[in-house]
Amino acid sequence: MPMTRLPEIQRRAIVRTAVTLGAIAFALFVYTFWRGVK
Amino acid sequence: MATAHHDEHPAGLMRWLTSTNHKDIGTLYLVFALIMFFIGGAMALVIRAELFQPGLQIVNPQFFNSMTTMHALVMIFGGVMPAFTGFANWQIPLMIGAPDMALPRLNNWSFWLLPFAFTLLLATLLIPGGGPSGGWTLYPPLSVQGTMGTDMTILAIHMMGISSVLGAINVIATILNMRAPGMTLLKMPLFVWTWLITAFLLLAAMPVLAGAVTMLLTDRHFGTHFFDAAGGGDPVMFQHVFWFFGHPEVYILILPAFGITSQIIPTFARKPLFGYESMVYATASIAFLSFIVWAHHMFTVGMPLAGELFFMYSTMMIAVPTGVKVFNWAATMWKGSMTFETPMLFSIAFVMLFTIGGFSGLMLAIAPADFQYQDTYFVVAHFHYVLVSGAVFSIIAGVYFWLPKWTGHMYNETLGKWHFWLSVIGFNLAFFPQHFLGLAGMPRRIPDYALQFTEFNQWSTVGAFLFGFSQLLFVAAVVQAVRGGKKAEAKVWEGAEGLEWTVPSPAPYHTFATPPRIK
Repeated sequence: MPMTRLPEIQRRAIVRTAVTLGAIAFALFVYTFWRGVK
Repeated sequence: MATAHHDEHPAGLMRWLTSTNHKDIGTLYLVFALIMFFIGGAMALVIRAELFQPGLQIVNPQFFNSMTTMHALVMIFGGVMPAFTGFANWQIPLMIGAPDMALPRLNNWSFWLLPFAFTLLLATLLIPGGGPSGGWTLYPPLSVQGTMGTDMTILAIHMMGISSVLGAINVIATILNMRAPGMTLLKMPLFVWTWLITAFLLLAAMPVLAGAVTMLLTDRHFGTHFFDAAGGGDPVMFQHVFWFFGHPEVYILILPAFGITSQIIPTFARKPLFGYESMVYATASIAFLSFIVWAHHMFTVGMPLAGELFFMYSTMMIAVPTGVKVFNWAATMWKGSMTFETPMLFSIAFVMLFTIGGFSGLMLAIAPADFQYQDTYFVVAHFHYVLVSGAVFSIIAGVYFWLPKWTGHMYNETLGKWHFWLSVIGFNLAFFPQHFLGLAGMPRRIPDYALQFTEFNQWSTVGAFLFGFSQLLFVAAVVQAVRGGKKAEAKVWEGAEGLEWTVPSPAPYHTFATPPRIK
């Protein structure tokens, strides 16, 4: 039986957190590489 | 509260391949880590067997170098990190009253990247030219000159990095968004706090490693000269970038251990943790400092004096928050009603032996002294005191502590105690003499040594084999508890506090579908 669905507001907050953190991680990777190029 | 009726799930292989359940994925991580500990441990025993006597006996130098490189990569990325992620998966939702991790499908992918990454890494031993052999730090120019094994290692590191970053995102999203009503940040168990901070470290450090190894890859195959002095590049830059990742990585490997210890000691001292808030702030301080100390790993490359001094003093400052933690653990035990079950024994050993590793770290932090210690066995002794009697002992302690909750059965205490004493004796026999070898000048990562180092090396090898084989007792204790034994109660330990002890043992497949309310 699937888990109870989380409230929409909580789902949105989770996605927002995850996307923000993912963007930060990717930016750090690009920045490291760019510093190497400089 | 706990719900036992929602536990339908696919059976057999499909359960494990497709699971999005935090407990299943936690188990996968822990089993994977155990396998990797044994593979990495076997590599360590090859190293120690070769070093039992001076001269070349068992393996050729190239293979020896592969063993030192792979042992580190397997233990760090395959053993310790997945083990802590296993604990995070099992315990964080249970401790904060959440039904699961925030991103369950991502959780599944985070885990399943790992077996492929490590198959790729271990497969390097089967290809012409063998595995990577320039050390786990992958310093150029050796790593640029390496064989195809280096490329496979770089790809494997990318996969491990993606897995870690996704895992970190999941942990942060879970802790920030899924806590039960009333559980404010400063009411969270310390294990959850240490993992929250670790996840931020992972998020900031792993992309830097990815950047560094990508530059290595383009230097190897795409005509760039990031690290090639002849082409206008700088091999020392790699060391800076690598250690900007590498030092926070050290704390990624130890902060969750602090968290586990901070759960266990109060339980068996039957007292609340002394200085909870100072523990949180100390953990955060260590995390911050971990980003400004990286060049203490490379004092000998030739830095300006101001750089040497900055990195020396900033490194020494880490002793302050770490000292706060050790003091708080001791103060928690002070006048406690203590009992010495296996998890507590491993935790006390953790506090004492990790502190030895901390002190040798302080010695290494002193720049002028480090010129003597650099690349000797003193460094090897130091980081094994931190990572084996630190990280690994806490992992073992945590398994004994929560195993009854996970399996529903008590482990065999006699077996646990045998495991503990053999591990402690074996570990100290293996690594304490290495301090003396290092101070006497024996270099690390060399398969041969001068005659005067023989005796300490023999002690070390005997200790390593004792430590290695005593881990079979651990496997026996875990397997016994999984298969049966005395039934565990919901609150397994008399002094245990926290939400995980309010659910039955074994913890039902789904817990906290309705969030508990925290007062």
